[in-house]
Amino acid sequence: MFLMRSEYDRGVNTFSPEGRLFQVEYAIEAIKLGSTAVGIQSRDGVVLAVEKRLTSVLLEPSSIEKIMEIDTHIGCAMSGLTADARTMIEHARVETQNYTFTYNEPMLVESCTQSICDLALRFGESDKEERGMSRPFGVALLVAGIDEYGPALYHTDPSGTFVRYEAKAIGAGSEGAQTTLQEEYHKSMSLQEAEVLSLQILKAVMEEKINSTNVEIASITVANPKFRVYNKEEVQAIIDQLKA
Amino acid sequence: MTTHISPQMASSGTQHGKFEPYVNNGGTTLAIPGKDFVIAAGDTRLSTGYSIHTRQSSKVFQLTDKCVIVTAGMQSDASTLHKTMHARLVHYEHAHGKQMSTEAIGQMLSNMLYGRRFFPYYTFNLVAGIDSKGQGVVYGYDAIGSYQSVEVGAMGTGQSLIQPLLDNQVAYKNHQLVPSKELDLERALSLVKDSFTSAGERDIYTGDSVEIAIITQEGIKYETLQLKQD
Repeated sequence: MFLMRSEYDRGVNTFSPEGRLFQVEYAIEAIKLGSTAVGIQSRDGVVLAVEKRLTSVLLEPSSIEKIMEIDTHIGCAMSGLTADARTMIEHARVETQNYTFTYNEPMLVESCTQSICDLALRFGESDKEERGMSRPFGVALLVAGIDEYGPALYHTDPSGTFVRYEAKAIGAGSEGAQTTLQEEYHKSMSLQEAEVLSLQILKAVMEEKINSTNVEIASITVANPKFRVYNKEEVQAIIDQLKA
Repeated sequence: MTTHISPQMASSGTQHGKFEPYVNNGGTTLAIPGKDFVIAAGDTRLSTGYSIHTRQSSKVFQLTDKCVIVTAGMQSDASTLHKTMHARLVHYEHAHGKQMSTEAIGQMLSNMLYGRRFFPYYTFNLVAGIDSKGQGVVYGYDAIGSYQSVEVGAMGTGQSLIQPLLDNQVAYKNHQLVPSKELDLERALSLVKDSFTSAGERDIYTGDSVEIAIITQEGIKYETLQLKQD
């Protein structure tokens, strides 16, 4: 079990002599066990799509929620320990509402992502009054939204790093998915093309056969900047357009 | 200042000055928004009672490239408010990578004033700027943060002299026929100058000079107009 592991992977804030934080690296590994999520930015909006692992026929699919709204103009998809994501999203929701309270306008997508990442680095902090977080978050997020600069898509990881992408895949099937994205993505893509591409990719990397209950898809458009998760009929309509 | 001593205090030998944290330093401010410009102005006299402390104390404070605040009331509270707002704006620019919009400044000031609901800043503010649509906008405030967009705003000791005139000449309140021609910068500027000259005639707290900020999409230009010094 602990063979060949040095003692530097114990403390969450202890650097190894090579300058690594093992717990953070392990957290990033944890995401690679999660279900696949894809985000694509197009000229007229952003699409998020995730795979839902339905491990039992008795499981209620609608109870698995992997795409959530942060503010009306920002949403996110997650992969990894989804319970951790709820803490982060709760934080982001408070931040966006606080921003609107203070400035009477919607928060920038980048600022919202930054606020999530500020939280991601607060592990290992604690004092007598407050119980801090004992470990890094084991989840990666794709944050999608529209602000005054147009559509935006960001990826965050447990190290608190965030990077902007035009198209990004996370989770178990991310390697294959990212390769496909690199081949298929183009800047002038329409939202409809992005919807189809995202599900085409999920279809390819999923173990189960894709259907309207084992994937979740959401989008936000410049024309109507309200983040919205698609209903079953809308998902089916996109699945029907997929190549065999 | 008057000191009030109660009989009990006098007999016990202790003296307590009444807590008087507020002073009205006088002065007048004015702001007029136009289609693609906005003018904000404030006189530079600073007084208490019959004494003039200085003839060159600014009431205009630049917040961003397209927004200023003009404040009447108590000078020390105004100065503290302006410094606090400046700190917030610098921090905002670092955090969000852009200057705060005029609308956002409007809301933020309201929150800042309401935050001192039970020990307010003795300030009466006008925020003047170009909004995100490129139009001139003026927000008028009370001391505890209630605010609204106004067609013309005057504050301070000359308010009662200027506001009714400009309600008539800029906002055309209660006119049967409203001129179809919209307010241009030239007319607005001339109204501002005449307003201060007139207020200076009757209000002992308004005078010395007026600092005028003219804000357009291109930036902010300042003008100074001399007033009577008596």
